[in-house]
Amino acid sequence: MDWGRLRFFLGEVFTNFTRNAGMQFTAIGTVAVTIVLLGSFLFVRDTIATFGSGVLSQIEIAVYLKDDVDDAKAKDLAAKFAADRRIASASYVPRRDGLKRMKDVLGSDFDTSLLTSNPLPNAFHVRVKDADLVPAVARSIDRDPRVAKTDYAADTVQKLLKAATVLGRVGIALIALLSISAAIVIANTIRLTVFARRREIAIMQLVGATNMYIRMPFIAEGMLAGLLGAAVAIGVLALAAYQVVPKLASTLAFVTFHVNAGALCAELLAVGAAVGLVASWFSVGRHLRA
Amino acid sequence: MISLRGVTLVYPNGTRALDDVDLEIEKGSFVFLVGHSGTGKSSLLKLLYREELPSTGQVVVDNIRVDTLRRGRVPKLRRNIGVVFQDFKLLSHKTVWENVAFALQVTGTRTKDVMRMVPRSLDLVGLSHKARVFPSELSGGEQQRTAIARALVGNPKILLCDEPTGNLDPSNTTEIMELLQRINIKGTTVVVATHNQAVVDRMRRRVVRLEHGRILHDDERGYYFRGLGQTALLPG
Repeated sequence: MDWGRLRFFLGEVFTNFTRNAGMQFTAIGTVAVTIVLLGSFLFVRDTIATFGSGVLSQIEIAVYLKDDVDDAKAKDLAAKFAADRRIASASYVPRRDGLKRMKDVLGSDFDTSLLTSNPLPNAFHVRVKDADLVPAVARSIDRDPRVAKTDYAADTVQKLLKAATVLGRVGIALIALLSISAAIVIANTIRLTVFARRREIAIMQLVGATNMYIRMPFIAEGMLAGLLGAAVAIGVLALAAYQVVPKLASTLAFVTFHVNAGALCAELLAVGAAVGLVASWFSVGRHLRA
Repeated sequence: MISLRGVTLVYPNGTRALDDVDLEIEKGSFVFLVGHSGTGKSSLLKLLYREELPSTGQVVVDNIRVDTLRRGRVPKLRRNIGVVFQDFKLLSHKTVWENVAFALQVTGTRTKDVMRMVPRSLDLVGLSHKARVFPSELSGGEQQRTAIARALVGNPKILLCDEPTGNLDPSNTTEIMELLQRINIKGTTVVVATHNQAVVDRMRRRVVRLEHGRILHDDERGYYFRGLGQTALLPG
């Protein structure tokens, strides 16, 4: 490695960077805001996804059997469930157990002495391996002549899935808009630098520097602004995570807050650098063609 | 080394800067382009380093067809051509040494070679002792010598000078012209656009006179005005 060349290059980048400190500050700030929002969004989305898949994996299909299906016939049905690859488990709940379970759940609020006979049918509680398959499995079970009715939290499943999709789309649109505005601010900053350095650029072109070479310090400048913005954002997010997440976790005990911090940081830095790269590339390109 | 055939240059605003110009310049020669301001001297130089493209005609520099040269090849052409201007075009925040080195650094020259080539170029223009000085602390002549050192540091075959003495007093002018002559003797082709009659008449080199974008006369060992050595009329 030629240290002299590297030092010269870094010197050029530093000169560029410090020439429009105020504008650079704005650019970094815009990137930081964008990335804080991006990071929060990713965090919320991941949490919902984790929570959602947790809920979905716990969804049971309640399969109520017809009155004429006795324990022996139910055994045949259990064998059928066992053979179905989509089904994780199927537990048989005979009507007497069903009543007992209900008593356990409802406790003293439920007075069985009023009942003259057990109104509950024999039933199965079926768990499906993949939450997405719940509706399909329920439908196929429903077709069995021994089954009176199937029941599962259809609405909840559908709504959760839908919410995740909508959230994903809205988030992507929002982030795209913010990234574009961040890119525009960076591009304008670079344009000011280019303008301030037009003499140098003219001399570079005169002595035969390639456009690529002329571009590089400006690209590096844009990427640096993007990276610094991302770093600031990560700092803010880390602080927020440190302060807020423990409180949330104690309030919302049923939600697991799980974030892969390293991967998230890498993603956010990459986004910052990419925004800076694209913005400065086009900004200098326009000047060099002119 | 340099050849223009039927070159016409019309600017977008309709100004006809050059009109059907034919010109041949031999390798290693020293040529003055003379004429009033706006007669096309600078435009002609710009065609040579492809700052402008001719509207019609053919421009060849060092066996390279400049008028059809792809944009991506322009840097390579320019590394073979040094250009010097009336306003020096030095970078004020860089020292003399850094200004000269800049031309090499931005073309990706290895540091080892920069360290070797810059002192040689500064030595040629007699500015080794001012290497650490900023342009603002130099006289006009010294600034132009710095610009010449920068133009020559990459060993170009051709040196183009656009009014190199336009901002200089007579003694600095003489100094610069002597320097250009020394550079020419070492084998570099030198083309000087000027309207300084005294300089032209004293040097007695080839003179190409432009008027309204056309070549009015082209004389070996010529004068600013054809057949009229006016040096006697001028002071100094």
